[in-house]
Amino acid sequence: MHLPKSWSEIDVLQFKEIRELYTITEVFNREIEILAILADVSSEELEDLDIEEVTAMISQIKFVNSEPSKQYKHQIDDYHIKPLDKLTIGEYIDLEFYFSKDYNQHIGYIASIFYRQKTTNQWGVTVFEPYDFSPRQRFELFDEYPISHIYGIIPEFIAFRENFMNTYGNLFNDESEIDDEEDKPTTSQESKDLQLKKSEIKWGWERLIYSLCNEDLTKFEDVTNLPLIMTFNMLAMKKELSL
Amino acid sequence: MVNILGIEVPNQLNELSVQQFETITTIHADTELDAIDKYLQVFEFLGVPTIKWDDVEIEEFKEIVKSFNDLSGKPELVSTLEIDGYTYVAFEDKFKLSVKDTKSIEKIMNSKHKGYLSELLAVLFKRTDLTKVEHYSDAHIKLKAKLIRELKAELAVPYLVEIGQKLSKHIPKDAPTEIVE
Repeated sequence: MHLPKSWSEIDVLQFKEIRELYTITEVFNREIEILAILADVSSEELEDLDIEEVTAMISQIKFVNSEPSKQYKHQIDDYHIKPLDKLTIGEYIDLEFYFSKDYNQHIGYIASIFYRQKTTNQWGVTVFEPYDFSPRQRFELFDEYPISHIYGIIPEFIAFRENFMNTYGNLFNDESEIDDEEDKPTTSQESKDLQLKKSEIKWGWERLIYSLCNEDLTKFEDVTNLPLIMTFNMLAMKKELSL
Repeated sequence: MVNILGIEVPNQLNELSVQQFETITTIHADTELDAIDKYLQVFEFLGVPTIKWDDVEIEEFKEIVKSFNDLSGKPELVSTLEIDGYTYVAFEDKFKLSVKDTKSIEKIMNSKHKGYLSELLAVLFKRTDLTKVEHYSDAHIKLKAKLIRELKAELAVPYLVEIGQKLSKHIPKDAPTEIVE
């Protein structure tokens, strides 16, 4: 039975299957299921083997309990990594969405935002393909690549996001400000205010775009294609100067 | 048997049933109780009313606990049981856990429901006239556990020791993946 020795031998699809198994709370049961995926056999087949043999195999795949490498490929076939500082508002919003879900299960979607086709224009400047596709159309592109090729974009984005929120967090409504117990409304006006605050948080990104569009929804795409950092720098300046 | 305040109380593994042993284990596992309360509850369960302890000094109580815990003999693993005309076999030559048994046992242990010790034994003892599918069906495990509960604790204890040793060897400690956040 061939077993992989590291994450580099495990593709994205297997990685997602493995991570999904972490909902199984029984460690031995989980390890058997993981082993079955990696050995490409059914777990019933493993049940017939000697436990010593199975335990030895489990010890060979211990690496699955650690994270894959934080390195990643800058190019996969025709797709090139788009630097984080070049993200647009629309790309960032979609990344936020996938990270707020289970990012391990959405790694293909995340990769499809980061890995893009590119060209060099007549002035020698690298131009990335526009974000006018849905990650749903591309997420399977990465399924058969080793997870070690792309996993590093996860910790890198998380670090970027943390830094971004530290810098621009004051431009967002803070969800932690609402404490359901402490902020229990006592009057109908307080109740309305609390409801409004919750709605503002729920529609945070939509409100931001709506405001940047000057309430003209025909400009929606223009706004979502704006560079993230530049836009937030401008918003920060606007807020600081009360413009 | 041990005499506690004039009452004969079963304390040896060949005197206690598996069911009684399970109850005693559950009381001892109750983290809400302190050591004295645990023994008071065990003694009450075995027939010594709590009111009888009112005038007992702590030193005497300690001696009673000591004699209650004084177990004689070391029971061996019994490989075969005969119940109601059926034969149940846990192992042939040497006791070993199969992968399937280990999976089932781990699930039962994690649930920690009342009576789970007899269910562990029910996984190990397989009726010779049935197939593998029937051995592990939930209904059949519950039925076997019910029968095993009536047997003496001397059957259960050596298996619990063996299972504990084997699980610690074969079940890896849960190592959650490193969180990258």
